[in-house]
Amino acid sequence: MRKLQFFIPLALFLGLAVFLFSGLFSNPRDHGSALVTQPMPQFSLPNLTEPSRLMTNADLKGKVYLLNVWGTWCATCNAELGFLTTLRQQGIEIIGLYYVQPPEAAFGERFDMTALQQEVSRKLAEQGDPYQFNMVDEKRSLIFDLGVTGAPETFLVDASGIIRHHLVGDINEQNWPALHTQYQALLAPAPAANSTAATDAKNNAGGQGE
Amino acid sequence: MNNQFYSLKRVNKLGLQSLLLTLFLFAMPSFAITDILEFKSPEQEQLYRELTAELRCPKCQNQNIADSNAVVAVDMRHKTLQLVEQGMDKAQVIDYMKTRYGDFVHYQPPFRFSTIWLWLLPILLVIALAVVMLKKQRQQTITQNADDAELQAMIDAVRKKQP
Repeated sequence: MRKLQFFIPLALFLGLAVFLFSGLFSNPRDHGSALVTQPMPQFSLPNLTEPSRLMTNADLKGKVYLLNVWGTWCATCNAELGFLTTLRQQGIEIIGLYYVQPPEAAFGERFDMTALQQEVSRKLAEQGDPYQFNMVDEKRSLIFDLGVTGAPETFLVDASGIIRHHLVGDINEQNWPALHTQYQALLAPAPAANSTAATDAKNNAGGQGE
Repeated sequence: MNNQFYSLKRVNKLGLQSLLLTLFLFAMPSFAITDILEFKSPEQEQLYRELTAELRCPKCQNQNIADSNAVVAVDMRHKTLQLVEQGMDKAQVIDYMKTRYGDFVHYQPPFRFSTIWLWLLPILLVIALAVVMLKKQRQQTITQNADDAELQAMIDAVRKKQP
């Protein structure tokens, strides 16, 4: 008994050491997402190329897609465009959610849709265009509802509009395989799971054919 | 020689000018970010202050949203103001933020099975320390008594020899 007592400080020390050591490899920026397993928030945002057309949840119904939050001001997003374009060529559906930074009113800056359109089309011509379409979130309302803290961030959304994954940071060759597996799994839902499965399958078949 | 000296001076002047210009450029936004808010009532102002002090900027490592000028923190301040003006109470605003940015966004952690150690561990530590101290004290009194008895025996032995 006394011998055992002798080892208590050592055990405590080892426990603390293991705890602190594992902390060295944890990512302080990774604090989970409140949105995973939640439905996509309601939105109504102008299409970038055709601002009079408002895109809503209905436009994305029944689709499995990646929602990529990006901006031309964000260097990582620009670096990501090339890789995302190769994904589009493989038939992955990617929708762009354009993150508009607040204009510096003190410098007389104002939000200018035409200038933004030109900037985006120049950038996409340069780096590749991975997007089916882009939505412009001028007031960052959907971005706020999605709990986005910066750009790039990507959401994987399933056919019934449920968010399945929230990735903070860029998509790259390292993290894509895992996300791809998840994406593929959503494309092929278990047959006859419920009444919506049939319509989902139909939509997904269309998606895969692209 | 003279020419060289002149050009050096010119470079210096240019350097000073660009330094000044840079300083002014940095000073400008600091005017812009001081937003003046008007509240409908002192209660709302108080609530807004409490909330912006308690809500944590999800982009920053350890700053509340009152302190941070990250875009997301500014947006959260605006949203907080808007929700307070709509008449939401403190818990409702915090819930609103939590459904979007997760538990991370509030400095007070939720009481849950996985977080119970945050409260339990300090209590357990105090109890453990108390037990250790009590044990030690008792041991000390025992050894002290033993020493006394031993000493007395020695004294007695010496006294028996002496006379």
